[in-house]
Amino acid sequence: MENAWLIPLFPLLSFLFLLLFGKKLKEASAYVGILLTLASLVYSVIVLVGRLTNDTYKAEADWLQIGNLQLTVGFEVNQLNALMLVIVSLVSFLVHTYSKGYMHGDERFPVFYAYLGLFTFAMLGLVLSPNLLQTYIFWELVGVGSFLLIGFYFHKDSAKAAAKKAFIMTRIGDVGLLIGMILLFWQTGSFEYDEIFASVQAGEVSGTMITLTSILIFVGAVGKSGQFPLHTWLPDAMEGPTPVSALIHAATMVAAGVYLVATMFPVFAASETAMATVAIVGAVTAIFAATIGLTQTDIKRVLAYSTVSQLGYMMLALGAAGYVAGVFHLMTHAFFKALLFLAAGSVIHAVHTQDIEKMGGLWKRLKFTAPLFLIGTLAISGVPLLSGFFSKDEILIAAWANGNYVLFWLAVIAAFFTAFYMFRLFFMVFTGKPRSEYKNVHESPASMTGPMVVLGILAVISGYVNTPWFGTFLGDWLVEGNEALGHGHIEGPAWIMIVATLVSLAGIYLAYLMYMKRSLAQDWFTSRAPTVYSIVNNKYFIDEIYQSTIVYATKAVSLFLRFIELFLVEGLVKSVTGIVQGLGKLGAKLQNGQVQAYGTVAFVGLAVLMLIFALTGGYL
Amino acid sequence: MNGVPISAFLALALILFCIGLYGALTKRNTIIVLISIELMLNAVNINLVTFSKFGMVPSITGQIFTVFVIAVAAAEVAVGIAILLSLYRNRRTVNTDEMNTLKN
Amino acid sequence: MTVSGEFIAFLALALVAIIGGVLLLNLTKVVHMVVALVFTFLSIAGLYVLLSAEFLAVVQVLVYSGAISIIMLFGIMLTKHNDEDDESPSVGRWKRLFLLLGILAFGAVFYIGIYDLDFGTTPVALHENNAEQIGMELFSKYVIPFELMSVLLLVAFVGAIVLSRKDDDEKEAEKE
Repeated sequence: MENAWLIPLFPLLSFLFLLLFGKKLKEASAYVGILLTLASLVYSVIVLVGRLTNDTYKAEADWLQIGNLQLTVGFEVNQLNALMLVIVSLVSFLVHTYSKGYMHGDERFPVFYAYLGLFTFAMLGLVLSPNLLQTYIFWELVGVGSFLLIGFYFHKDSAKAAAKKAFIMTRIGDVGLLIGMILLFWQTGSFEYDEIFASVQAGEVSGTMITLTSILIFVGAVGKSGQFPLHTWLPDAMEGPTPVSALIHAATMVAAGVYLVATMFPVFAASETAMATVAIVGAVTAIFAATIGLTQTDIKRVLAYSTVSQLGYMMLALGAAGYVAGVFHLMTHAFFKALLFLAAGSVIHAVHTQDIEKMGGLWKRLKFTAPLFLIGTLAISGVPLLSGFFSKDEILIAAWANGNYVLFWLAVIAAFFTAFYMFRLFFMVFTGKPRSEYKNVHESPASMTGPMVVLGILAVISGYVNTPWFGTFLGDWLVEGNEALGHGHIEGPAWIMIVATLVSLAGIYLAYLMYMKRSLAQDWFTSRAPTVYSIVNNKYFIDEIYQSTIVYATKAVSLFLRFIELFLVEGLVKSVTGIVQGLGKLGAKLQNGQVQAYGTVAFVGLAVLMLIFALTGGYL
Repeated sequence: MNGVPISAFLALALILFCIGLYGALTKRNTIIVLISIELMLNAVNINLVTFSKFGMVPSITGQIFTVFVIAVAAAEVAVGIAILLSLYRNRRTVNTDEMNTLKN
Repeated sequence: MTVSGEFIAFLALALVAIIGGVLLLNLTKVVHMVVALVFTFLSIAGLYVLLSAEFLAVVQVLVYSGAISIIMLFGIMLTKHNDEDDESPSVGRWKRLFLLLGILAFGAVFYIGIYDLDFGTTPVALHENNAEQIGMELFSKYVIPFELMSVLLLVAFVGAIVLSRKDDDEKEAEKE
């Protein structure tokens, strides 16, 4: 564990190596990336195992000393960090492997692997950071990695726009995080998590300030995790290559927001308002994104909205004091959502379209992908005995136990929607008759199915580390030695589990009726409430609202500023350059080689000096 | 014997010096430039002689100095004209604005 | 201030000197300019007399009005094709204005310094045996500068001859 700092360095090495030698290696760069992330994974697992038996390890070195302030860099291995390390490096490793098949033939293949390395480095660094400042640095690096990967197909305008959008939207959140971070530093005099928590628990920071800082930090998390109202970048980010979506927009980066809230949990827990904010935003996002997911027809966008919705779940869990539930769902979600994205990528790879209206009947053609996709779908829908079931159940119990009954029911409805739209997706893609002509539909190569199998297994079994039946091992371990994180397991009434099961089964059944048996017309709802449908189908016009308000306002302001720039600043600058230019020309003119001109200048200079001397009181 | 004040002589010398300076810096003909310089020297001489009579410490030294200045001026004129002549043979001109080899 | 004969003489001499200077600036023919300046030199010699420097007055007449003016006239005759001189066109109006302002400022500064100047010392008897006094000083106290001056004159003399003769040789060499 003492050498946990090596973990992020492997992907960094991969990044640098591929940056330098990628052109020569061509597709062999995949092996560099895969091997180095495998090293990270192996080491992460060793660290996790070590952490299971040992205490938290923390190492720091001085970075800057400014007066009494001391900034440090270092790394910390606590329960959450160790868990995140494994999740990130595992998904990253699998995505590296998967990309070898998926990106085959792309001319910027080595660049893709280099970017993946950079992103993995940033994410692992973020996870290991022991203080807010370091976290912030890696937080921004993660943003850069994400930007590069979303805009990987930069020749497509939509990809460029999506990359910019993702960067700018998350930046809005980052500003909040930065302000919150500075406020916290001002109040507690430290960026160290330990010291911040200690001074918050000792009551050294006023209640209002805690609320303010935690909400500001939550704004950062909202931006990164695509929570309402900053969620719009996440679906657009699907312009990136599908493995990227699986890595960044399902398992790791978007989870960074949740991770941040989980890391800062003791601060949040000290303020009821902040907790309520987190819970409400989470619940609203969960149901909001789920309804949008009902109407989308792009396979990746459905998954994107489902990601937003699931992240909302995690936020709800954290806001409802269900620390364990949130982190647990973060872990299971990382597995099954990565699985779903990789499977979706496999489908896209096979049929070369993302529109589910054009798919159908793929069950027989994709022997591996289809069952794996089904596993993922079952897991996310919360069907009993799969991982999603347990984690979602924990969240519902946490919401109920916290007394937020409205939020609880919102979450239940969102669960129903989730089950419905996920199975709608499944049925439309894999069952029925093909809705368009396919050519060369073939199963993906082993490098793609392999990772999916691994994730499929994890999606099934990862729930069993924390179940009400076989023991809440994960929960107990996560909160061990830290009172502020709450209980390892929250007891809830047994009917919640039954309700959750019934709701997800009901959603599946409805989808079955509509899209499999077709005994219920698909436009049953659409035809009855066309307005509602069109609002939902247009994602509640959030983008349009932003366009007509914030974007226009910004443009107006920038136009105004541009005029200032044009006439004031530029005028100033131009006059300065003009003066200098004029002086230069004058100087050049004076250098005409004529002694008399030189003499004149010298004499006039003398006269001016004497005048000044006389006027300032020389001999007068 | 003290009818003319010292400042009158000094003012005259100042005026002559300014005329000489203007001429030296604006005239085109090198000979006139040289003559203007002589005028400036003369103005200086007037000052010297004036101070030798009305100065803080009146003595003959001012006049001695003037003698030296005149001698140097004579030597300067001789060399100046010689240079001018040799320049004229080379460049066929005595105009100052055509003597711009300092430029390159 | 009583108008003494000395004052009238000063005014007349000063007027001639300044007029000579102004003519130097304003005449067009170079020869005329030199002649105008001869008047200035002569009136300066007169001023020397007023300032009890008879010996210098004589030297002034000999050297400036005589020797230097003649050398200048020779210089003009040896070089000039068109002996008219306008103020050089390449030296722009701006430069001249600039220079004029500078000179005016210079003059003003000095005038402020001198218009009121009076040390109030009693003049010594410089006019008695003026040449003798100068001779005594020159050959006792200032004998080394005096000798140096003779060396300087010699060098200038030799230099002037070399400068003007060398080209003659070359010309003759070219002709031959």
